[in-house]
Amino acid sequence: MKKTSSYGVWFSRTVWIKGLLPSPQGGRGAGGEGDRHAVVGCLALRIQQTCSASTFGLLLLLVLPLQAEVAFHDLLKMPAENWLSYSGDLTARRHSLLKQVNTANVGNLVPAWVYHVKDSKRLQVTPVVADGVMYVSHTNEVYALDARTGRQIWHYKYVQAKRHDGNRGVAVLGERVFFVSSDAHLLALHAKTGALLWDKEYGGYEQNSQISATLAPLAIDGKVIVGVTGGDCGMRGFVDAYDAATGKQLWRFYTIPGPGEPGFESWGGHPIGISGGGTWMTGTYDASQNLLFWTVGNPGPDFYGESRPGDNLYSDSVVALDANTGKLKWHYQFTPHDTHDWDAQEFPVLIDSIFQGKPRKLLVQANRNGFFYVLDRTDGKVLLAKPFVKKMTWARGILPNGRPDVIPDMDPTPAGRIACPGIKGASNWFSPSYNPETGLFYVITIEQCDIYTTSARPYKKGECYDGTGAEAIPTEPGQFFLRAIDIQNGDIRWEIPMVVKDTMDPWPGTVSTAGGLVFFGDNEGYLSAADARTGKVLWHFNTGQLITASPMTYSVNGKQYVALASATDVFCFGLFEPMSPAPVTLKENYEGSEAKQGN
Amino acid sequence: MQIKDWIAFCLFTALLVASLVAQDKPPEKKITNPFGKDNAAAEAGRAQFNSGCAVCHGPTGQGGRGSRLADIERVQKMADARMFEVIREGVAGTQMPPSSLSDNQIWHMVSFIRSLNLSAVEQDVPGDSSAGETLFFAGGQCSGCHMIRGRGGLIGPDLSNVGARRSADKLRKSIETPDAFVEPGYAKVEVVTHAGERISGVTKNNSNYSIQVLDAQEKFHFLLKKDLKSITHYKRSLMPTPSLSEADRQNLLAYLSRQSLETPAERARRIEHGKETEP
Repeated sequence: MKKTSSYGVWFSRTVWIKGLLPSPQGGRGAGGEGDRHAVVGCLALRIQQTCSASTFGLLLLLVLPLQAEVAFHDLLKMPAENWLSYSGDLTARRHSLLKQVNTANVGNLVPAWVYHVKDSKRLQVTPVVADGVMYVSHTNEVYALDARTGRQIWHYKYVQAKRHDGNRGVAVLGERVFFVSSDAHLLALHAKTGALLWDKEYGGYEQNSQISATLAPLAIDGKVIVGVTGGDCGMRGFVDAYDAATGKQLWRFYTIPGPGEPGFESWGGHPIGISGGGTWMTGTYDASQNLLFWTVGNPGPDFYGESRPGDNLYSDSVVALDANTGKLKWHYQFTPHDTHDWDAQEFPVLIDSIFQGKPRKLLVQANRNGFFYVLDRTDGKVLLAKPFVKKMTWARGILPNGRPDVIPDMDPTPAGRIACPGIKGASNWFSPSYNPETGLFYVITIEQCDIYTTSARPYKKGECYDGTGAEAIPTEPGQFFLRAIDIQNGDIRWEIPMVVKDTMDPWPGTVSTAGGLVFFGDNEGYLSAADARTGKVLWHFNTGQLITASPMTYSVNGKQYVALASATDVFCFGLFEPMSPAPVTLKENYEGSEAKQGN
Repeated sequence: MQIKDWIAFCLFTALLVASLVAQDKPPEKKITNPFGKDNAAAEAGRAQFNSGCAVCHGPTGQGGRGSRLADIERVQKMADARMFEVIREGVAGTQMPPSSLSDNQIWHMVSFIRSLNLSAVEQDVPGDSSAGETLFFAGGQCSGCHMIRGRGGLIGPDLSNVGARRSADKLRKSIETPDAFVEPGYAKVEVVTHAGERISGVTKNNSNYSIQVLDAQEKFHFLLKKDLKSITHYKRSLMPTPSLSEADRQNLLAYLSRQSLETPAERARRIEHGKETEP
């Protein structure tokens, strides 16, 4: 993060427009700005002319903290004071270097503030924090909050949105905040005001109203990467890159190959336009290879495979894309020819570690299909694949060539067939985390089987294209666990079982910290902290609400906070400090009215 | 009185009258499912449901990626008009999307979802209801554990509204094989504290850190799990299988099926004719 150390330089840029003006030091903003510079530059000049420089500078000094813009290299740092993207950094390890809150004192964690997000029902957002400002998104809305007090700075609502799905968060770069609307527009807002800078329609909602967007965009060097939701309802998924400064499209990668492209033959002639392959979660990015890793959802129709004979590439896969061109470097398909709706949208976590005796660049994923995978992310080869659930009926294992050793006759039937994992998967989009000190991968896991039912049904525009569905076995409720998986061998080092309930509505995730803690949401509305080494629960707090999001952590003025979006509120916690009263000398004067005390 | 005061007075009076008239005649918003309980409509709704709804809610509404819709009070209490609205508009901020189906197609689905939530009170269950009542309270065989409108015990579910909440089939099944379905809040549990105290009863609430147990003496125990050595949850119901003649069973069923806090007419007005909606 580029902090402004000299007030002179800082003032000459003017605080509100920094990042939009050409930097005197040649620093990088979000990208080329074009004519906007000149206009805003004039405004700055006028301010300078009409104010005495010293008074104005002093005024700014008093009312605003040091401001900074988010540079690309900041996004690559492990999260500490700031939490600059959905997963904290671009690797999705979700491990913070903060350790003020640690195994010794986490028992003293208390609520610092709560922010109620109006009209929300099931928040799915991970807040982003940049220099003391927290950005929280909700269906077609973004809030900027003072991260220390939870007081609102600004609010933006995209009123013209044609859909109202959930939203998982924002990306930040330069002085811009990016988020997607439910009808798949990518929007850039000014970080200081929430003013709309540009609006790019990208999903094709007008052509196909089943397409939506829920993900937090991924900002990298001058680009913003997004995907689309709707793979259950007949569409062709894609990953898009846009210029962060202008919203101009840079490239598109279709997850369902077209005629003449490799992989097209894996569909047996099934129409590509309705084959699914949604890209509804944020990917990860490896700067050393300039590669994006994006996960792809189910093939369509979800539960009926006969109309799409073949592997159905690149459904249920991770694709490695050149970030400059969107060209496919490699892919790995976790579930070829899926008939159980096992989207591969669990996070593709990037870990650099000694693995099997060699330093390696790894991609680690606990997949919805029940296998824990360790891939070499330079070529997509499987180094390890092991079940992380006991309830597993579709494959005996993963063969040396990376393909599953499939158990025959486990496809859904018209009368319904029981298979495991269940429809929600062994894990799902909620975030896992990885602590490099313990070598453990922390993942919320579901042990469940479901009844999968299929039927042939031709595609009809405007309707979903799912080939029927799956449901719980009423007498066999599933169970949530927090599991700690050793990435070296896939062993479950410890687990925290959660109470068995007949509702599987929660979608809680995790965050890991250098304080030796893993924070996780549970199926009963608690945020808890466990010792990352042993799994002993050291702290918990009842939010009183369903949890459908993952926690994060940040610090402001040297104080560490832990935040979590519950169903309708953002809860924020910090170590207990006795409240010190405000100094009696404070006088708050309102010009033009007589001061009145009390009533 | 000055002119402007007079104008203000007139305006005020007009508004007052208008508001009184408005209160007298609340806007009659009547939205009724044109297909009602028609079986063919429900079947058409089933087919529709299987394309777009079953993916999350399951083909018979048992829930999966999405919420459960079958045999669940939240849905049973929902007015048809509200159900229509939820299907049409979706639920903002959740994975439940809006629908572009025609009105009739949506009403078919409402009929189908309603068929997954039948209420015994609407099914006209045969039998001698008053003989069933006598049986229910006689000797405390049922009322020792179950309460109906303030009479009876607490260890089993209150049955004052059971006719509205359960289908006749499900009621019969619960009488014949009590283990078939145990209502949340009534599962048998045994806990042992670190001090060695044993408490058994039913689980009223169970989180990862606390548990509430109601024991056979109808005493609550609010326990923290850190104070406990063991907890055993049972799948079996605390309810013994009653030994009843077929006639007694039918009479009991007739009595229970008529237990509803609303009259059938009130219920129909609220649910079928959409006079009120869920808050």
